[in-house]
Amino acid sequence: MSNTVVRKTLIALAVAGAAFTAQADVVIGVAGPHTGAYAAFGEQLWRGAEKAAMDINAKGGINGEMIKLVKADDACEPKQAVSIANRLVDSDEAVAVVGHFCSSSSIPASTIYEEAGVLMVTPASTNPALTERGLPNVFRVCGRDDQQGDVAASYIVGDLGAKRVAILHDKDTYGKGLADAMKDTMNAYGVEEVLYEGLTRGEKDFNAVVTKIRSVDADVVYFGGLHSEAGPLVRQMREQGLTATFISGDGIVSDEFVSVAGSPEYVDGVLMTFGADPTSYAAGKVVVDEFRASGIEPEGYVMYSYTAMQVVAAALDATELDPIAASDWLHENSIETVMGTKKFDDKGDLTISDYVMYEWDDKGNYTMLNN
Amino acid sequence: MSQETGINIGSSIKDTIIAGLLALIVFGPVVGVLLDGYEFIARIDDVVWIVAIVMAGRFAISVFVQTESGKKFVYRQLTKEDGVSVTAPDYKSKMRYIIPIVIVIGLIAPFIASKYVLTVVILGLIYVLLGLGLNIVVGLAGLLDLGFVGFYAIGAYGLALGYEYLGLGFWSMLPLAAIMAGVAGAVLGFPVLRMHGDYLAIVTLGFGEIIRLVLTNWTEFTHGPNGVSAPLPTLFGLEFKRRSSDGTPFHEFFGLSYDSAFKYIFIYLVLFLVVLAVLYVKHRLTRMPIGRAWEALREDEIACRSLGLNHVLVKLSAFTLGASTGGIAGVFFATYQGFVNPSSFTFFESALILAIVVLGGMGSTLGVVIAAFVLTVAPEMLREFADYRVLMFGILMVVMMIWKPRGLVRVTRKGFATRKGVMK
Amino acid sequence: MDIVLQQLVNGLTLGSVYGLIAIGYTMVYGIIGMINFAHGDVYMVSSYLTAIAIALFSFFGLDSFPIIIFGTLIFTIIVTGAYGWVIERVAYRPLRNSSRLSVLISAIGMSLILQNYVQISQGARQQGIPTMLSGAIRFDIGDGFVQITYMKLFILFAAFLGMGVLTYIIQKTKLGRMCRATQQDRKMASILGINTDRVISSVFVIGAAMAALAGVLVTLDYGAFDFYVGFIIGIKAFTAAVLGGIGSLPGAMLGGVILGLSEALFAGLISSDYKDVFSFSLLVIILIFRPSGLLGKPEVEKV
Repeated sequence: MSNTVVRKTLIALAVAGAAFTAQADVVIGVAGPHTGAYAAFGEQLWRGAEKAAMDINAKGGINGEMIKLVKADDACEPKQAVSIANRLVDSDEAVAVVGHFCSSSSIPASTIYEEAGVLMVTPASTNPALTERGLPNVFRVCGRDDQQGDVAASYIVGDLGAKRVAILHDKDTYGKGLADAMKDTMNAYGVEEVLYEGLTRGEKDFNAVVTKIRSVDADVVYFGGLHSEAGPLVRQMREQGLTATFISGDGIVSDEFVSVAGSPEYVDGVLMTFGADPTSYAAGKVVVDEFRASGIEPEGYVMYSYTAMQVVAAALDATELDPIAASDWLHENSIETVMGTKKFDDKGDLTISDYVMYEWDDKGNYTMLNN
Repeated sequence: MSQETGINIGSSIKDTIIAGLLALIVFGPVVGVLLDGYEFIARIDDVVWIVAIVMAGRFAISVFVQTESGKKFVYRQLTKEDGVSVTAPDYKSKMRYIIPIVIVIGLIAPFIASKYVLTVVILGLIYVLLGLGLNIVVGLAGLLDLGFVGFYAIGAYGLALGYEYLGLGFWSMLPLAAIMAGVAGAVLGFPVLRMHGDYLAIVTLGFGEIIRLVLTNWTEFTHGPNGVSAPLPTLFGLEFKRRSSDGTPFHEFFGLSYDSAFKYIFIYLVLFLVVLAVLYVKHRLTRMPIGRAWEALREDEIACRSLGLNHVLVKLSAFTLGASTGGIAGVFFATYQGFVNPSSFTFFESALILAIVVLGGMGSTLGVVIAAFVLTVAPEMLREFADYRVLMFGILMVVMMIWKPRGLVRVTRKGFATRKGVMK
Repeated sequence: MDIVLQQLVNGLTLGSVYGLIAIGYTMVYGIIGMINFAHGDVYMVSSYLTAIAIALFSFFGLDSFPIIIFGTLIFTIIVTGAYGWVIERVAYRPLRNSSRLSVLISAIGMSLILQNYVQISQGARQQGIPTMLSGAIRFDIGDGFVQITYMKLFILFAAFLGMGVLTYIIQKTKLGRMCRATQQDRKMASILGINTDRVISSVFVIGAAMAALAGVLVTLDYGAFDFYVGFIIGIKAFTAAVLGGIGSLPGAMLGGVILGLSEALFAGLISSDYKDVFSFSLLVIILIFRPSGLLGKPEVEKV
């Protein structure tokens, strides 16, 4: 019955792990998938926000008050997102939220924040619907899928001159939104796709779809989805002798993409759209170096999350902790962040889209394409 | 079987060493070797800790079961009573005092509770409805249904899509969704009537998955993974929004200042009354011929058929009633969340509802209510454990099953006595 | 033509993997009549063990392919077998005399435990292993071609070898006879001196070992996994087991291959959006006409 003991141990470990203390006054929620299949992204969000909060507190906090972060786990499930959002505004009395990660969580949660007059800045939800609903309190420091799709489509049609394009997506809000945005722009340029299909997230065998791509003789494959599916997909394409160019969006921005694909040789030549490298800004050099010094690679959404926290802090600081005034303030003013100057339009989107095309090489690194 | 009263330390030590070795094999690689790209980081000390704790625990348990109180404990565990307890004919349940108190508390609660607590309780009540629905199918009729979430989805999407395409609101969809889900239950019921036990389970699982996949893939109609927004309920046409699209919102009509809690309080009250009504109906059903037919069919199908019971009708009625309850729960879920998308209707949800029924004690109405709250409130309480939350939830499920394999509440049945003056 | 052939190859390899995992479901069901929902997650654990073994081997400088692959197989099968044993001992044996639904719930809880235990100890990140065996055979057919990687051939070979060994164990050895006796009548078997608890434990170990074989093969082939991979493949394998007739070993393999082929062909020729809908519909239709699956024995209604 050793099991009983294992359980007890885990409980003890859990208690120790949960005992995180921070004495402070301004409560800011960090909402994202801290458990579940996308916990890796939740971790990126938390790391960025945590570091930003520490740095801001070290400089005297917001309006003289210290930031206290609350980890809010939605596991990327809308049901949990609603309940955790209510908890943040109600029990934790958060004035602002950095999050959520998945667009499908951000959309239902944003309504609750709007009703409660809480400021919401998402570092990662790129679905256009989030800001299209005209909520005054919702901002994002990342781009929108349609902007990303535009960049990809014009590259595919213009630079690659592709005529036979296969479009795949992972049937999820993000992946499908991205694929649809890219498809619409591409169709507007006069190129029709030869294949448009969804795959099932969580599966690893895409051989059937790959064979199908072969049968339609595509020369470009565009995939809207995350690296967990993109890795096996690109590998199985190459294994079946398919040499079509593989293009995806910012969902594959992770070192894991290479290890999941099995070997850097498989990702050689893969293209993706992503915001201009978040670690490349001069303003963020110190923070990036500090991250690396503490053994954390500021990959993916870490810097976005840091930026989101800076945006929140700046707005609350300027309006003496009034989140409703802070929302109005953000629509008017621009903010200096570790990712350069950020300015929001009326919907809460960034005024400047900074999506560019990146290419992976045979060493497993990605570099910005100059064009 | 030994009659020794002393504690055999030698065998305890042997058990302990075996447990330690197993812990080393099981936890050693997964905990001790942390994968890092194609390389790894060794974490030997974590493994040592786990193995040491496992061994210490095994030793403690091994010694404990050899003591007097330990033996008694093991004996109690082995001789758990089975079956149904029958109360005396003139037994008056204490429930008749408890129920009115619970109702009063339930009606006052929303005005005191915080919004967060209220949302958790709403979710709990939704799962009570789901549990009651599945309880008819699994607990009473004995048909293992792993795709119950399908009916839940029909209800939720019924509200969202009915509003979008037909302009139907909460109040018209509430009965309509129940009917739609009921029809779906009957349609599913027909082909599966021939199947038994676990074949039925996998077919219903397939049905639940099919519904979810269609909702995901039929983008033109359901908007696929992007989901659909669902309307809020109205009180005689008054809306619970800050700014009403047509007419006066609720708070202006009553001259109150706007509070987003109003809509939750309203949803809660409606839901609470619906749950009470459903509870009453379910309670009566088990005493009516149809309810007794369900249970009889669960116990022995062949005997029932030879006694002239129409098993098709009985099974179909169980499926239909169960499904329509699931549909009602779906409507409440959609309106509470204001948004539905297919990711809320995965197989895990079906498993959770099934866990409510089994944990509640298969057929016990009170048990379902308690279990529904335990299983929905527990994950919220476990938020303190942060990353360990779902792990703790899994452990809770296993431990509760081992501790109470028959469920939390045992089914009681009222005894009968011949009335005075009736001929013997 | 070449496309259809390629899809057949895809379906066959996928199906043989489903079949291997389905064996775990079907054996456990046959012997104690429970659906072991944690089985898919046992498979998931074996994926991690595969990567751990490969990392360990390359750390100690062993890098010849045969040594790694056999070392990995043995390591993974032993440790995964231990998982099977411990899970049965901890979560299912205390419920041996309870209703089958209680064990089902315990299994669902166990599945959550395994997923989250692995997530906590190994992190939530996507994991991968380096490509071990690359290269492929290419057949040119007309204008097109069929390309089969060596790894796929290895999967087919190993899966059928594993099946063969298992069939031998069940049919010819003493353990196999005890398993079959326990499956037919547990009480009678125990009266005849068979330690049924031990037999049930060994069935869990065998099932876990088969899942481990599948885990090693799939991980070597796709190279990618996370703590969530067990869920979908577990449901598919369970479907395969029911399709073939739950409780029947050849049925599990047949069900796996049919499911794999139908998925590949439907996805390849019609639409991958609806391939799972098709698989489940196929299952429902087969069960309507053969309520005990393809090779399952029809249930005799006892009065």
